[in-house]
Amino acid sequence: MHSPLVKELRKRLGHQNVISAPSELAAYDCDAFTVERRPPDAVVLPGSTRQVAQVVAVCRQHGAPVIARGAGTGLVGGCLPVRGGVVVMLTRISRIIEIDLRNRMAVVEAGVPNIKLARALAGTGYHYAPDPASEGASTIGGNVATNAGGPHTLKYGVTVNHVLGVEVVLGDGSIVRLGPVEDPAELDLIGLLVGSEGTLGIVTRVWVRLTPDPQDYRAMRAIFDTVDDATETVSRIIAAGIIPAAMELMDRGILAAVEEAFHFGFPPDAGAVLVIEVDGPTAGLEKQQQRIVEFCRNSGAKEVLQAATAHERELLWKCRKLAVGAVGRLSPSYFIQDGVVPRTRLPHILRRIAEIGQKHRVRIVNVAHAGDGNVHPILLFDERDRQQVDRALAAGRELLEECIRCGGSVTAEHGIGVEKIEFMNRLFAPEDLEAMNRIRQAFDPTGWLNPGKVLPVT
Amino acid sequence: MTTHNLPLTETITPADQAEVADAVRDAYRAGTPVYPIGGGTSLDYGARPTEPGVGLSLAKLNRVIDHAAQDMTITLEAGVTMAELAERLAAERQRLPIDVQLVRLATVGGVVATNSSGPRRYAHGTIRDYLIGVSAVDGRGTAFSGGGRVVKNAAGYNLCRLMAGSLGTLGVITQVTLMVRPMPETSALVICEVPDFDSAERLLARLVHTQTLPVAVELLAGPAWQEGPVMGPMLESSTARLLVGFEGGEAEVEWMVGQLRNEWRDLGVASPLIVLAAELGLMWDWLTGFSAGLQINVLPGATVGLIETLLRLDPGASIQAHAGNGVILVQLSSSEMPPTISSAVANAGGKMVVLSCPDGAAVIRAIKDRFDPKGVLNRGRTA
Repeated sequence: MHSPLVKELRKRLGHQNVISAPSELAAYDCDAFTVERRPPDAVVLPGSTRQVAQVVAVCRQHGAPVIARGAGTGLVGGCLPVRGGVVVMLTRISRIIEIDLRNRMAVVEAGVPNIKLARALAGTGYHYAPDPASEGASTIGGNVATNAGGPHTLKYGVTVNHVLGVEVVLGDGSIVRLGPVEDPAELDLIGLLVGSEGTLGIVTRVWVRLTPDPQDYRAMRAIFDTVDDATETVSRIIAAGIIPAAMELMDRGILAAVEEAFHFGFPPDAGAVLVIEVDGPTAGLEKQQQRIVEFCRNSGAKEVLQAATAHERELLWKCRKLAVGAVGRLSPSYFIQDGVVPRTRLPHILRRIAEIGQKHRVRIVNVAHAGDGNVHPILLFDERDRQQVDRALAAGRELLEECIRCGGSVTAEHGIGVEKIEFMNRLFAPEDLEAMNRIRQAFDPTGWLNPGKVLPVT
Repeated sequence: MTTHNLPLTETITPADQAEVADAVRDAYRAGTPVYPIGGGTSLDYGARPTEPGVGLSLAKLNRVIDHAAQDMTITLEAGVTMAELAERLAAERQRLPIDVQLVRLATVGGVVATNSSGPRRYAHGTIRDYLIGVSAVDGRGTAFSGGGRVVKNAAGYNLCRLMAGSLGTLGVITQVTLMVRPMPETSALVICEVPDFDSAERLLARLVHTQTLPVAVELLAGPAWQEGPVMGPMLESSTARLLVGFEGGEAEVEWMVGQLRNEWRDLGVASPLIVLAAELGLMWDWLTGFSAGLQINVLPGATVGLIETLLRLDPGASIQAHAGNGVILVQLSSSEMPPTISSAVANAGGKMVVLSCPDGAAVIRAIKDRFDPKGVLNRGRTA
């Protein structure tokens, strides 16, 4: 234990902003990846960038790991204190500093939840594009740490495409500001920091790019007999040069869960559903919609529903947004995997996922950002049954290996954390990992920032 | 190929990545600089290297490895020219939406190394936003890769972002994978004369709230822009010209052109010039071909103010601003830069292309030391 460390932290932050009672620390022993747990030695709640810098400096002196944490919605154990240390909660650093429409950006502190920014921007004509599924709780700082995505990345890109600047505390406790003018005319350190999972620095303030709200939307929902018919439709839409704002696929398993929970009225033999949305100036949408409906029908869709009003659009999206939660009705526990393949390999990977589920006797249902080739298999199990947990973990590993075999990757938007660290050696050659290690050493020579994450120990 | 400004002892042309690695390894042992050369179109970018070294031409690394058209990705060697890339993609009605000068010479590797961009970066960003995989040889002669071939990938550090714009100082780029986009059905430019800088700012500020979705917002001023294709000479009474570009489906573009005319009419712009698809190729080339000595970046809202200042300091200068992005390209009227320009840029919160940056400079140095410990690669290219 680091009781001199706790004493020092209390001196800097005030008694009430340092948690060290074991009973309270238990709440920080994992994030949304619950399979592995370990409590930190202390949790601190700094109120400013300067205080974060002080915490980092103090931890460095005491040789304690520093783990930044936002809302704790991460799915790969990025906030797990694998070697103990101090968890830095950024949730108190949560002011929206400025909404600057002339420069099409907002300046926000790391702890601002996505939903808070979305509300502040409502009515301005602009929004922040990344929309991770956890947007009700997740923070902008967390988005930056994981390079978060969401259903709309197909057209609008992921977090890295929407960060103009950051204020970041480096491993030596120094505070650096990057951006917000475009083109650093030097190395793109912002591009490195986004997605670095708290291992290169702790981002405390973000200059985010704002995206104009689309003038209009057209949302559609098509029901297919088979997953192949649905993915065929996706290919045809892309081949026609249409980039929808979102193309979400749900398979038979997840549809059953949604149906059981919410009774949307899907036919019981539905093999797959696509939720497709195009957005932009109204003038261009009619034609795009017509063509998409045509592609759906030509690929064998048995029903294509077109939302005629904003309310209908909301209803149509509801089944997708409620899908993951509905799984809770099917199973006491589940975890959401994140894999990605070249989009044309979607039918293959979904077939293989089904086979892998059968082999390991694990029920797996799927949602996918189909336009990106990004699958989110959801593995169902009972946490209380160790054998089931092990079988689910084995199935998860095998399906990620299959993603690699297809020329894909083991994560599109969740990150590596601890969960996927074992795959880094398979995705990358030793020279590639060495290059990444050099970057880490350049940023954080002593290695106290979120140790044990992203890169396997060499 | 123009290599006149590089102090080359010889130029070698390796046939593949292994030979690139051999060449860099030799240089590493000898401690001599290596200067990677693509199409030779940007060799005067940044500071001028002075130490004699070996030119390393990527001309033979010119194979397209895999155009996965249905996946909207393409993997190719660094020496492929931008023109060849464009042709390959056009055959599938696809494109890389990055404006680059001298496409018959410029190579993909060079464009990545300089993170080139042009007018349409307002909607499409820079090549950094399309680079999903990269292979390179570091300053020890070790080959490494980052990213992969999928459009969305959160595994490990983003080496693609690091390499894009690194000016060949971290590695000799040998192969890249790019995400590509469908070719738009049509495009258009809407152009107006701007009487003074207050009007310019008023028009730009209004564009923030336009119902349309421009792909380019260009503000042009100075003698270099007096004559151009299609538009005829700039009016005597004009201070600048504003050009707004659109791309998309026929109906969409037609509506956006009409909509912008309406929005501008309310601001007193009577009859803007509309340039439609047939003549647009020429216009984009013209807008992309501007030869500037200086690139300044500011927040978009500071663009007009800084242009006004720059023209006061050098009344003969010509300026192209990607005004929606705050990118200002300056062609000075003489080879001597007025010393007051740097402080004007600093006052506007801006940065110039070559800058001694207090922000992150130590980390940048540390990264470079680790990728290229003996300073073999492009020595002197950056600070």
